[in-house]
Amino acid sequence: MSVFSKASETSPTEVAATKPEAIPLGVKLGAIWLCLMLLVALIGPSLTPYSFTAIDLKARLALPFTTLHWLGTDELGRDVLSRLVVSIRISLLVSLVATIISATFGTVLGFLAAHFRGWVEQVVLILADFQASIPFLIFALAVLAFFGNSLSLFIMLMGLYGWERYARIARGLAISANAQGYAAAVRQIGAKPSRIYLRHILPNTASTLIVSMTLVFPEIILLESGLSFLGLGVQPPMTSLGNMVGYGREYLTRAPWILLTPASVIVLTTLSVSMLGDWLRDRLDPTLK
Amino acid sequence: MSEPGSTTAPLLEVAGVRRRYFAQGGFLSAPKPVDAVVDVSFHVARGETLGVVGESGCGKSTTGRLALGLEQPDGGTVRFDGAALPPAGTAAWRAIRARMQLVFQDPLAALDRRLPVAAQIRESLDVHAIGDGASREARVAELLSAVGLTSDHAGRYPHELSGGQRQRVVIARALATGPELLVCDEPVAALDVSIQAQVVNLLMDIQANLGLAMIFISHDLKVVRQISHRVVVMYLGTVVEEADADRIFSAPQHPYTRALVASSPSPRRKSRPALMIAGEPPDPSARPSGCAFHPRCPGAQALCRTQAPMPRLVGQGHRVACHLVEPWNDAGAAA
Amino acid sequence: MISFLLSRLGRAALTIFLVMTFSFIVLRLSGDPALIIMSPDAPPEAIAAFRKSWGLDDPIWRQYLNYFGAVLEGELGRSMRDGRPAIQIVSERIPATLLLTLPALLLKVSIGIPAGVYAALHRNSRIDRMVMSFAVFGFTVPSFVLALVLVLVFSVWLGWLPTSGADTWRHAILPVVTLGIGGAAVLARFTRSAMLEILGQPYIRTASAKGLKWSAVVRGHALPNAAIPTVTVLGFMVGSLLAGAVVVESVFAWPGVGRLLVVAVSNRDLAIVQVILLLVAGTMVAANFMVDLAYGIFDPRIKQAQRGGGK
Repeated sequence: MSVFSKASETSPTEVAATKPEAIPLGVKLGAIWLCLMLLVALIGPSLTPYSFTAIDLKARLALPFTTLHWLGTDELGRDVLSRLVVSIRISLLVSLVATIISATFGTVLGFLAAHFRGWVEQVVLILADFQASIPFLIFALAVLAFFGNSLSLFIMLMGLYGWERYARIARGLAISANAQGYAAAVRQIGAKPSRIYLRHILPNTASTLIVSMTLVFPEIILLESGLSFLGLGVQPPMTSLGNMVGYGREYLTRAPWILLTPASVIVLTTLSVSMLGDWLRDRLDPTLK
Repeated sequence: MSEPGSTTAPLLEVAGVRRRYFAQGGFLSAPKPVDAVVDVSFHVARGETLGVVGESGCGKSTTGRLALGLEQPDGGTVRFDGAALPPAGTAAWRAIRARMQLVFQDPLAALDRRLPVAAQIRESLDVHAIGDGASREARVAELLSAVGLTSDHAGRYPHELSGGQRQRVVIARALATGPELLVCDEPVAALDVSIQAQVVNLLMDIQANLGLAMIFISHDLKVVRQISHRVVVMYLGTVVEEADADRIFSAPQHPYTRALVASSPSPRRKSRPALMIAGEPPDPSARPSGCAFHPRCPGAQALCRTQAPMPRLVGQGHRVACHLVEPWNDAGAAA
Repeated sequence: MISFLLSRLGRAALTIFLVMTFSFIVLRLSGDPALIIMSPDAPPEAIAAFRKSWGLDDPIWRQYLNYFGAVLEGELGRSMRDGRPAIQIVSERIPATLLLTLPALLLKVSIGIPAGVYAALHRNSRIDRMVMSFAVFGFTVPSFVLALVLVLVFSVWLGWLPTSGADTWRHAILPVVTLGIGGAAVLARFTRSAMLEILGQPYIRTASAKGLKWSAVVRGHALPNAAIPTVTVLGFMVGSLLAGAVVVESVFAWPGVGRLLVVAVSNRDLAIVQVILLLVAGTMVAANFMVDLAYGIFDPRIKQAQRGGGK
């Protein structure tokens, strides 16, 4: 919805920026954090000292910063650090896959609408309006209620988040590309529509779409962690960041580190992606509001 | 209708084509029909350049697109090399693109800013699967030199070239498949005057070397005169006059053509008084009745207001659609 | 004006219709409704009777019509857990949710809008930076994290406020604050950028160049124009009040509709989910309708379009 995307026009990087052309400190830190998270997600789980499901009832609720358990343990004696590492991998995986699904689905629908116009376009627009007018959380809860939540269903559900934004953008860009210029010229040469879209229109619109992805990705992370927190997302024995916070809630008073560590990871990761996305958008495509 | 005395069939025959658009209505009103092209007929022989002139909005661009089959006419026929054009969007239509190409007005818009120009020239060959990798590269190099560019330019991006160079790239791409017909829609309008001449000369050379037929659409009479063999003058979607290029400029018959020619700078015109065209440029969505030009014509009669004139032969290969001009009787010359 | 209202009403009806159709389709897709709504080990006769009474043996189009008929009559099924009508259960919880969301809305508006406007008017000042940082916070910190942190600080460490439950008015403070702050941050950021965009328009510079006092320019030109996009965002916020309440009510064990929804989803108590879905759709539609009305009143361009009927 253009209404909400307007909110990101003035970016947090404006707050952090010092020199006009240099990369703001905030963006640099954000990028470092994200690289760290990616690294953890990729190789972390093979380096963890304990399995993330290993229960050790003798060491329940151990304090953090001890030599055996750097981040303490939870109520079942599971090592918080190990669980955190695995959670990072799962949360990032789910969010990333969902972002890609949503971008692909939305872009394809947008291109179809632009190419065929007529009733196809009307149907796509009506669906997009419909999706934009229902709060996604409610929509997701309804689907989860009706269909249960296997992991693949959950990921596909997350993959519906934000598709209407990509569809609108892709449709707009394709229509203007088709109306004049290179797309019409290449069509005139005799190229098939698939060639025109894949080799010309898509690469030219990719930067705008990628920027949109960086803006949607943090929202998906928040959504996934929210649903997992409520116990409706990633199910045990799998663990995700939201999941961990949910479990840690019981022990808020006695062992706050159980939920504070995943919570901080969520906040820092979302913040980093947002700053990066805003900076990218300012650099690549200031017309995107 | 071939010219009397010609022995070869024309390459392109456009007969009675019509094209109507529907402009957006207002908030509550229905879409308004706009007749962009009304009953236009002409033909183009092989190796010949037909100039199409007129003001903006006269339908010349639309005519060019109809001639290429990029749009379907609402009436009339277009025949290319004796056969009707395939409907737009079909595989046959795509295949026939190799024989007829369009050169656009704005070369920067017609090129993909992401790709180097050599790749874009090559795309024509890739699309029609002509030759193989090596021979395509060779052909691209050949085309670049045919339009006066060097291999230095090959790797550059469109925005790194000048306007004239970009247009050469567009021409090279259009020539890649060896077309028989080239439609140029205001190809030099966006270029500096000094570059215009170069590109026009290039087009003329290419035509001489390759025997191309060309339709040259422009509002610039000077350029049209230089490059065309025959000229068609359009006004509000109709053809008002058609003749050899020299004749159109030396002895225009239709009042509109006369005014156009008189108002265009030329060394031979200095002595004659300029004929002013009265009135406003016309609105295609509100066509006058009868002859489309009558509201602005100094010699309009009652007949002109009620009946649209049909094109009539008024001289050797010279047709005019005007009630005021005497038709040619074989006995004498035109009025 | 009448045609405008009618078209908006038509759109509202269409949305509700789509939501109900969505409900119907999803319900049918998710398996045999009889087995879902009744428990799987009910006796076969009971299941057959249920199918009969719900018309589940009818052709699908008739089921669709029956479904609509049932909804319009208010027969929306019973909760699986205690067998009471779903509508009743949901309506009982509405006041509790309103008790949280309405004060939160007030908080959002009274903090968010002035902060955003002030920040825009004093761009790049320290206040502006503070507001922006605060705003960033609004969309990177999920509401459940905020809620838990607030509980940690104010309940556990400082002991000023209770942790959860809904017994006294004190119990409402943390939930309302949680809901309000997140929304205030988003609203502040949005208002700021809307104001900035308007302040950059030529007519603002013209107005101040004419010699008008800056405050008059702001009051007379900038604010009214900024009101329009702000109203749109507000409409969206009102429409999604319930969505925000879901998480917060769950964290604070507040007995409202949001918490009910989560429990119903966990138990797959479909009747309740359906009712809440319709409630949300109704709220969104009503909110959109009010926004459209407000536009019709405030935006002279729309008034003119209706009157003149276009060119």
